[in-house]
Amino acid sequence: MSEQIREQVSAFLDGELPDTETELLLKRLTRDGELRESFGRYALIGEALRGAGSQILTRGFASRVNLAIDGEPAQAPAHAQLRREARWWRPIAGVTVAAGVAAVAIVALQQRSISPHLSGASTTAQNVAAPLRAAAPTQLPLQGGGGPREALSYTVVPAASTEAPSAIAPARLTNYVFAHSKYSSGLGQRGLLTDLLIDDDEVPPIPAQRAMPPPPAPDTRVAP
Amino acid sequence: MTQPRLALAYWLVPCALVGALLSTVPQSARGADDPRVWLQRMNKALATRNYDGTFFHISGGRVETMRIVHRVRSGRVTERLQSLDGSGREFVRANDELTCYLPDQHTVLVEPRQDRGPFLGSLPQFDATVSDFYRIEALPDTHILGRPTRVIAVNPKDQFRFGYRLWLDEKTAMPLKTQLCDSRGQVIEQIFFARLDMPESIPDSDLAPTVHTDGMRWVRQGASADNASAALAAYRASQLPPGFRLTVQGAQTIGGATAPASHLVYSDGLATVSVFIEQSSSDSGAPSALDPQAQAPEAPMQGLARVGSGYAFSTVVQGHQVTAVGEVPAQTVEFIAHSVKISSGAEIPHH
Repeated sequence: MSEQIREQVSAFLDGELPDTETELLLKRLTRDGELRESFGRYALIGEALRGAGSQILTRGFASRVNLAIDGEPAQAPAHAQLRREARWWRPIAGVTVAAGVAAVAIVALQQRSISPHLSGASTTAQNVAAPLRAAAPTQLPLQGGGGPREALSYTVVPAASTEAPSAIAPARLTNYVFAHSKYSSGLGQRGLLTDLLIDDDEVPPIPAQRAMPPPPAPDTRVAP
Repeated sequence: MTQPRLALAYWLVPCALVGALLSTVPQSARGADDPRVWLQRMNKALATRNYDGTFFHISGGRVETMRIVHRVRSGRVTERLQSLDGSGREFVRANDELTCYLPDQHTVLVEPRQDRGPFLGSLPQFDATVSDFYRIEALPDTHILGRPTRVIAVNPKDQFRFGYRLWLDEKTAMPLKTQLCDSRGQVIEQIFFARLDMPESIPDSDLAPTVHTDGMRWVRQGASADNASAALAAYRASQLPPGFRLTVQGAQTIGGATAPASHLVYSDGLATVSVFIEQSSSDSGAPSALDPQAQAPEAPMQGLARVGSGYAFSTVVQGHQVTAVGEVPAQTVEFIAHSVKISSGAEIPHH
């Protein structure tokens, strides 16, 4: 991906790409499978920086279906199933593996919301990373009492407690989601169904190492 | 079509839903440029037109190419949603059934999904209250796919719900682009059409699944008609985020469970949260297992989980497992789950 495309993709994922450019990008994506692939990878990294790694883990519709149906995976060896489960759903316990990343992402969002130099369409992984590093020590109110409070980010799963993470079991979560989808608004249904269409084996979950922001390059560009 | 069949347009229902809800807002003097009128048009287009399109679905850092085919003929809707990337999975909805073809798992799942009762019943009589929690506005017009496009924003007024931005084709009112956003305007999920045709007729062949089902396992899900125990049915959310109210109360046997759970549905009209209350097999508090894989399925659960574009949150209330799930921000499911209590006046059987 050229730097220009990269910036376009970044802006696109942030919803900040002008429509005219979006159209060009989409046309390009339509005919360029390779670009689409790298686009997906890039998006993955971008989302990791936003702390959405857990979303990637919530794949594996078929596994969930099987678990919902009869409590056991069909046509898949047990160990493979476990691996897949772990992929689609590693609840807070798993997410805490990348807690550092999530925390960083929270800072990123806070930074972005208050620092003009971080907003804008060219928020690439690199130029997010530098301020992130600087801001990482900031105290984060990760744990809430459950009452209403200002959301830090909707893409970050707050680490409930790194000492004693607890979790919703994968199969049960699946079943809840299915049960909910029948009653949910269209949003829930659509979100669920499109999500379920997505192949969980195509893209691996974000490894913690990969999700870590790259070290700030000396020539990191920060918009004024 | 004689009745609204919102569920049939499931891939774009958020749009349809917004339109449907807002269409009931009495407006004595709505101009052609009123964003609510545009949402009505969109809703109508989604429900009544034939269309065949390819779109990108961008969520959770992934870009997926999907195809949607939607046909209305003699009042019957048939719809097919197909992943064009990799998995080959397809969903077909016809004759009140949703069929999920999962070639990668050699499984076909058939679910009854009537467009009646709970789903439509959960739509509140939306009046002016919608504008208490969402602000609807027209943004500057633009072009998508080279076509003039109206842009409508449905902004949540607080952090308990998500909002939308919709790019509607000037000519057909079809949403060429949709964004799901949080209360700060951060994009959570996007849909972009790369191609959209609206043919006069669509042949059956375009609605038939391309999956070869030879040798695949067919699984038919039945409807659940169980009742939750009185002990479970006595629980309610004692506090709710602004605008949410109980819209459905029922029971649901969660897969693998021996007894049905009480299932409550809370909605502000757009956003919906399900709350499941189950008998917990253990009276102890949170499990200490670090590895969720090591947990027995019946172990009490606590914690937050990401679910598609929404969240699930589990906690234990008086020995009962309480789980809230919805396409809402994390704090909304947490808030609701934490507030679940035995409702006053309810009989509390002792055990």
